Amino acid sequence: MTDYQEIGLKSGIEIHQHLATHKLFCPCPSELRQNKPDFTVKRELRPLAGELGEIDPAAIFERKQRKYYIYEAYDDTTCLVELDEEPPHLINPEALHIALLIAKMLHCKFPDIVQVMRKTVVNGSNTSGFQRTALIGYGGFIETSFGKVGIQNIYLEEDAGRRTAETPESVTFRLDRLGIAEVEIATAPDCKTPEQVKELAEKLGMLLRSTGKVRRGIGTIRQDVNVSITGHPRVELKGVQELPHMPKIVDIEIERQQDVIKKGEKIEPQVRNVKEDLTSKFLRPMAGAARMYPETDLPLIFLDSNYISNIKLPESVESVKGKLQELGLSPDLVNQLASSAELPMFLAFTKKYPKLNANLVATTMLVTPKEVKRKLQLQEFELHEDIMDKVISALDEGTIVKESVSAIMEELAKSKQKDVDSIISKYKLMSDAELKKEIAKLQKEFKGPPDKLIGVAIGKFRGKANPQKIIELLKK
Amino acid sequence: MAAKFSVNDKVLVETKGSKYEGIVMPTLEGQEDVLIIKLASGYNLGIKLTKEVSVKHVGKAEKGKQPSIKPPFRKNLPSISIITTGGTITSKVDYSTGGVSPLIKPEEVFLATPELLDIVNIKKIVQPFAIWSEDMTSAEWQVIAKEVAKELNDPEVSGVMVTHGTDFLHYTASALSFILKGLNKPVAIVGGQRSSDRGSFDGGMNLICAAHYLKSNIAEVAVVMHGSTQDNFCYAIRGTNVRKMHTSRRDAFRPINELPLAKILPDGRIERMNKILNLRSDKGKVEADVKFEPKIALIKYFPGADPAILEYFMEKKYKGLIIEAAGLGQVSTNEKQKTVWTPTLKKLIKAGVFVGFTPQTIYGRIDPFVYSAGRILNEAGVCYLGNMLSETAYTKLGWVLAHSKNLEETKKLMLTNMAGELIEQILPKAFSD
Ligand SMILES: [Zn+2]
Repeated sequence: MTDYQEIGLKSGIEIHQHLATHKLFCPCPSELRQNKPDFTVKRELRPLAGELGEIDPAAIFERKQRKYYIYEAYDDTTCLVELDEEPPHLINPEALHIALLIAKMLHCKFPDIVQVMRKTVVNGSNTSGFQRTALIGYGGFIETSFGKVGIQNIYLEEDAGRRTAETPESVTFRLDRLGIAEVEIATAPDCKTPEQVKELAEKLGMLLRSTGKVRRGIGTIRQDVNVSITGHPRVELKGVQELPHMPKIVDIEIERQQDVIKKGEKIEPQVRNVKEDLTSKFLRPMAGAARMYPETDLPLIFLDSNYISNIKLPESVESVKGKLQELGLSPDLVNQLASSAELPMFLAFTKKYPKLNANLVATTMLVTPKEVKRKLQLQEFELHEDIMDKVISALDEGTIVKESVSAIMEELAKSKQKDVDSIISKYKLMSDAELKKEIAKLQKEFKGPPDKLIGVAIGKFRGKANPQKIIELLKK
Repeated sequence: MAAKFSVNDKVLVETKGSKYEGIVMPTLEGQEDVLIIKLASGYNLGIKLTKEVSVKHVGKAEKGKQPSIKPPFRKNLPSISIITTGGTITSKVDYSTGGVSPLIKPEEVFLATPELLDIVNIKKIVQPFAIWSEDMTSAEWQVIAKEVAKELNDPEVSGVMVTHGTDFLHYTASALSFILKGLNKPVAIVGGQRSSDRGSFDGGMNLICAAHYLKSNIAEVAVVMHGSTQDNFCYAIRGTNVRKMHTSRRDAFRPINELPLAKILPDGRIERMNKILNLRSDKGKVEADVKFEPKIALIKYFPGADPAILEYFMEKKYKGLIIEAAGLGQVSTNEKQKTVWTPTLKKLIKAGVFVGFTPQTIYGRIDPFVYSAGRILNEAGVCYLGNMLSETAYTKLGWVLAHSKNLEETKKLMLTNMAGELIEQILPKAFSD
């Protein structure tokens, strides 16, 4: 076993998390589109001298690689800001609020004045040639079971376009992701073991979700891991997909660094991409400070200390648990929900549908989707909030029974959450008159022993009628 | 607090238990109580300079080296001259004002567009001044025109490029069209909508396409800028029929009432699109006939506009007015309305002031014979300028007034086509997206 202390392991992470609000510098929705883009725009980018007069090595490296870029856009969710055809609008105040809230939860200090910066990015993922980013908090910490980990900086920034295709001459980016507001949390390299790195990532993820104000689903959170051992400068590992893999990835990188040191190769700080087998490959040199300069199209942001001290933190887990118990939830569901990102949605539903059994709401939200995911062997399955609302509303109105929920969700998973209304209506209960007619028919046709009739009827009308009602009707 | 420090100093700042080390960045005027420092990470952070803040000077930041550029000479390439006048295309972020400001050295334009040197030799770069285009007056047009003529008359020069701010670029384009007489080589006016300090600098392709234009046989003053939102081609648009039609898009400049002169691809292919072209010749000399009457104004007619505003121009002894009229060329002629314009217009014209109407709709031509208002105004002596763009009519009027003896002659010259500004045949394709 590696003695991590002996090799001087220093590791930290960077988390990028999308915020649940519209884009950071324009009013477009933060929505990743699946349908075909409405139009494309071809552009080129030029390498440039930064604020201090130097051309960044990362920028030159990127420029040598490519000739042009293609941007995919939509008529209704892409505006001139993403197309670099209009100056940025003033910063989205809701995004700023969420970022400050997160910084406060992480015990950060705040600058008096925030200046939005342009970080030169010449890989084409930003139509402007730079990413807008701002330092909004620093010098905080988070507790782990291995000890405190420092939070160096928290940035509020716009995400880049997402790569959808590549040829030797060009790269294609979709602009749906460009401009989505995200926080970047950079921790200090305080983790002394790979296991601590994993716990840190989990803790931060949980804290972010507990705000109820971050986006969920594929591509809405990204983790990068920094690793260095004595004698090797910092290496940034990008594209860490699954948290359980984190310790393995760190161990592999430690071995690689040990190997490089032993061979006496030239060692440079660098960015590497994690591959499927958890090894990594060189992506680009680490960017220097020369790539930052002020966003002159935006005014300075003066942070009011009163505003920050008035930001309300989410409730503590204990008090949340108490509330959930009062709603009559089973202890198991209380524990699951209290630290779940679904909590705000759950509370909203119980408020909206006060007569519906809270256990049923929680099961529908937490348990059934997991079962469907397992049964259909899906990578990921999460119902969109509005679709979940339709299912729960149908339960509340009594138009469907709880026995139908998993079948409905299976069909929704298969239809990629389309045709929601027609899927739900397939499981609509029969009206009393219909049911009466059907039961009379069944009684007439049934030839088996009479004591089996109840079971057959319940089976036959599963999901179409309330079992209680079937029994009543059969007794008559 | 307020220890002495200046921009580019390395400082250590202590405040409320926080310590920062960084380089002092400039702040905007009126924000003297704010200290902006650049941290090692490259991020800027601001500190309010209160009593609790202490700033210690710890050193000086190293200044980055600007690579020096001397354009090489290649025998097989034609030569051009460049007149730079300021504007976004030759500007970058100025950290002392926080805004975008003109490049210190015009040569810096090649840092952003080195490809230019594979297309043409740059014989000369002249920078008579560097200002934003909204600050320009007819005095600057005269300076630019003289420089352009001087360079065009150099037999080694194939054409001249003028780099310019975009806001009023079309005014300069039309002014040069009237001032430069005997034009026998191409003149390209080029701007940029994104500054050269960003990766998405659009001026790069504009400069490249303009260089190709200057090698062509089209001897016209043309604005050469993006033809679409993509970096795929530029249009060369006649200087008298071009207008900035968008505040920020790359393809803001559009031809009005006619097609572009040519479509120019960055690889050098040129596709002519317009039959009305003055072609290159090696005969004669270009003259900059710069006499210009600045006492002129451009006014927009609007609902309920009080004709009393016109009295001001009479009082101040203006020599001519261009009025953007409604629709086919109307202003109020209804005597029952308090805001009727006819009596005041008559008064002006009687006093010898030239009054010309242009279409407020931008596209199309005005016509005095369709409505009675038009007939009344025409009768009153208003000069209907057809399709002429207001901005073009304005620069033309300045030139014409300096070259005519009386109102009759002014009217005659204003209605004489000089640089393609009066279009007889407006093609349907000239108004479509
Ligand atoms: Zn937008």
